[in-house]
Amino acid sequence: MTLLPLLPTVLFEKLANSLLKKDAQSSERLRRLAGKRVRLKLKELPFTTTVSVDEAGIYISTADSDDVDCCISTELGVLPELQDTANLTRLIKADQLDIDGDPMLAQQLVGLFKSLEVDWEAELANTLGDAPAHWFMKLWHKSRSHVEKRLEESKRWFRGVVTDEKQLLPTREEFNEFKDNMQQLRAKVERLQRQFGERKS
Amino acid sequence: MNDRKDDSIDFGYQKVARSEKKNLVANVFQSVASKYDVMNDLMSFGIHRLWKRYTIDCSGVRKGMKVLDIAGGTGDLTAQFSRRVGPEGEVVLADINDAMLKVGRDKLRDRGVVGNVRYVQADAEELPFDDNTFDVITIAFGLRNVTDKGKALSSMLRVLKPGGRLLILEFSKPVSATLNQVYDFYSFNILPKMGQVVANDADSYQYLAESIRMHPDQDTLKSMMETAGYEKVDYQNMTGGVVALHRGYKF
Repeated sequence: MTLLPLLPTVLFEKLANSLLKKDAQSSERLRRLAGKRVRLKLKELPFTTTVSVDEAGIYISTADSDDVDCCISTELGVLPELQDTANLTRLIKADQLDIDGDPMLAQQLVGLFKSLEVDWEAELANTLGDAPAHWFMKLWHKSRSHVEKRLEESKRWFRGVVTDEKQLLPTREEFNEFKDNMQQLRAKVERLQRQFGERKS
Repeated sequence: MNDRKDDSIDFGYQKVARSEKKNLVANVFQSVASKYDVMNDLMSFGIHRLWKRYTIDCSGVRKGMKVLDIAGGTGDLTAQFSRRVGPEGEVVLADINDAMLKVGRDKLRDRGVVGNVRYVQADAEELPFDDNTFDVITIAFGLRNVTDKGKALSSMLRVLKPGGRLLILEFSKPVSATLNQVYDFYSFNILPKMGQVVANDADSYQYLAESIRMHPDQDTLKSMMETAGYEKVDYQNMTGGVVALHRGYKF
């Protein structure tokens, strides 16, 4: 059990640090966070993960129990929602998130990777050569835009089938009308509750 | 285990004069130094890298700290410590064996691990450092080769700073009987043959297997550390107890 989480952790740390090295701006971003430590406790996992930052990169540990600057306890499914600070209060109230320390630190840590700008063509050119790298990247961009286009078309077709042809889902206009009606109904119920409360007292 | 009881001591399964053990162990490592890393990878199927990494993670090492890597051999732990303590810190790679120290120094310099690493040929029983010098001390796969383990533990305690910690990574006793049988078969039948093929030295790897069996088990080593004066001593088994990491603090 001790070693089980270690292998993916080591691999992830290596990958993360090699990505950071590919962007010259990383050293400045790392310098700003140097010395900071963030711990993540996920309910689904039997171990905690601690990320420490220094000027050279990040270290990930599953055996670190020393003090940290920010400790986040949450669930796996909640992680994507943490990207938006507007969700934090709601998640804390719903007992799905507990933050001890500086809550901005985790977002700054994620920002290290979100703000990465890697020149993949130059990276590829180092191993493949300039011409093959240029050709490969051109092919990659072309295939990507082709796939995105096809995906968008499929989505549009699927939307048309389930809303217009088979009428399995409401159209956007129908949904908006339903939403407005619901809001009016909720307002009426609240008004009635208030009136009922007043008469009772 | 019989460190101080009489004038003879274990060298693998043999009994040798206490004064002879250091030279015999030195001969073993002199012989295997050049193939040490390859053999470690082969013998442990690469798992020794995870054992060592876990040790680093448990060390609590930070920027600016002073670390002593005893029996540091070819410098696997030193390389990682060097990165973590940064230029303000220092790592001392100590080994009693000159050949191992040279292999370690060449390897680390080739990798660019320079600046904050010092190399010292030293006996773990009589460490040539001032009292309260180091924040972290590690000894990985070295303690079982030490003649007087109690004396070495006391020497390490002396040079450890108050609040500092000692980590001992060492082969130990597998917790499951089945694993123990498989491990015995592997150690006494396969390991020496691998040593013969790769390092042209079956005897040294026969000694390795025997010295592991003669090394104190998890609880005995824990009580030895407590007797030496370490506090909050605990250990964690890895790979079913084939290896154990003992940790103790000086307060």
